[in-house]
Amino acid sequence: MPGVLSRAAAIVGAAEANEIGYPAEPRTSLQLHIEAIKNVSEQTGIPISRIDGIFSAGWSSELAEHLGLHPKYIDTTAVGGCSFEMHVHHALAAIHAGIIDVALVSHGEAGWSARANRGRGGRPGGGAGDPWAPGTQFTTAYGLSGAPSNYSHSMTRHNHRFGTTPEDFANIAVVTRQWATLNPRAVMFSKETHPEGGPITIEDVQKARLIAWPLTLLHCCLVTDYGGAILITNPEIARSVKTKPVWIAGAAENMSHSNMLEMEDFTATSAAASSAAAYKMAGMGPEDMEMAMIYDSFTITAGITAEMLGLAPRGEGFKLWKDGHAAPGGRLPINTNGGGLSFNHSGMYGQQLIVEAYRQLTGTAEDGVNGIAGKQTTARSCVVNGTGGSLSTTGTLVLVAD
Amino acid sequence: MPYDKPIPDPSPHTKPFWEGAKAGKLMLPRCTNCNRVHWYPRLICPNCHSRDLEWIEGSGEGRIHTFAVQHRAFGGWAGETPFVTAYIDLNEGDRMLTVLRGVDPTKPEEIKIGAKVRVEFEPASEDVHIPFWRVV
Repeated sequence: MPGVLSRAAAIVGAAEANEIGYPAEPRTSLQLHIEAIKNVSEQTGIPISRIDGIFSAGWSSELAEHLGLHPKYIDTTAVGGCSFEMHVHHALAAIHAGIIDVALVSHGEAGWSARANRGRGGRPGGGAGDPWAPGTQFTTAYGLSGAPSNYSHSMTRHNHRFGTTPEDFANIAVVTRQWATLNPRAVMFSKETHPEGGPITIEDVQKARLIAWPLTLLHCCLVTDYGGAILITNPEIARSVKTKPVWIAGAAENMSHSNMLEMEDFTATSAAASSAAAYKMAGMGPEDMEMAMIYDSFTITAGITAEMLGLAPRGEGFKLWKDGHAAPGGRLPINTNGGGLSFNHSGMYGQQLIVEAYRQLTGTAEDGVNGIAGKQTTARSCVVNGTGGSLSTTGTLVLVAD
Repeated sequence: MPYDKPIPDPSPHTKPFWEGAKAGKLMLPRCTNCNRVHWYPRLICPNCHSRDLEWIEGSGEGRIHTFAVQHRAFGGWAGETPFVTAYIDLNEGDRMLTVLRGVDPTKPEEIKIGAKVRVEFEPASEDVHIPFWRVV
């Protein structure tokens, strides 16, 4: 009997770049991608705008941005020469699952021209990796230095558009620190775990050293080490093990840009789209969420994301913290581990969000390792939202307790 | 004193922009199919996906979309802190990043989103003149 994926999708076109082999003029890898994509679009009559899933060996975010696409499935698996066969496999599954309708598998690699280009114009990433990439060529001159230097522009715009203030967002740092004081594993748990640990005030946040106005140090996340792992199984196994299951009721992803140059609305992220899709899959809405784990690389990230997740009206995300709803004992606990701001942030913080959501939803947040009295909530449902890049990419999970 | 900050490395595709910059002109890519100007320069129109693109001379005028004040920087910029970075809405559409000139970085509350700005070019090397925007 055929497997369930059998004949679930078909290859409908195949084309190459205009010049391959040893081109007369040196090419870039990006040119090779774009020419082939344009050609297969013309060959099949399928407009590029119909592509909603993008598969490549490391290039997917840059290609999607270059094409002005907001794909619903982004796969950049890069494991050597067999990657493209794998992309086809992944695309088949994604199509069978109904996530996407048109998958692009693209390859562009200036193996020959790389010599003439002296190593430029070859690598994926769109950022610091390649001097010719737009993210380097048109931003490198202007002194930006990492995430806070860029995210700060978002808070300025939010303040302008909605009449908010940096003090409003400081509430997020203060309340998140309250949660950290209930988590002995949080870096900022107490003065014993860190000289600056323990409770803080809005004044503390606002008087901290400026990193990139309007962001002070206490508007910014920690830089720490972290290791975390989760196991996901089928329902049969999940029912048979001794630990409790947390069901993935909804899951989705999206992106709005790669470089902040292309951020259309500095007060919004693609979490609006990814959460809408995740809620839809779950048959639930923001009103059904009893807690939230929200990526808080900066206070502005958490504030905006709360709005995108439908947990607060536009421009008012910070009020969840300011009015105490997100705090211990509040109606919608948020970032119960102490957040990236005060618990732990290793550079990529998405796994920390999921681990804490699992602990909360299984009632194990006060197991003597990762929490003291008052930390465990009664939440039975949780929306988890990760944010990547420069407010660029988002993934949303709707998790529910058994 | 030689220019001590990062200097962009022009690619063949963006050569018209950097040649224009050297001549004091802000060259912008425009699609001849949908007439839309875009930034950064693409190999294909991000709006209609035509590959019929041309370079036009922009007005060199725009407005502040948003900004921040950098108090921490590295390399040649480390000695310049604090300085103001901004995203500029071009009159022709789309957006550029810049270090903003003609403003006081110690008084960010006096910098207005929506304020008019004009481009100017600083010679960083013989071939690369970098666009910076100044409040007018």
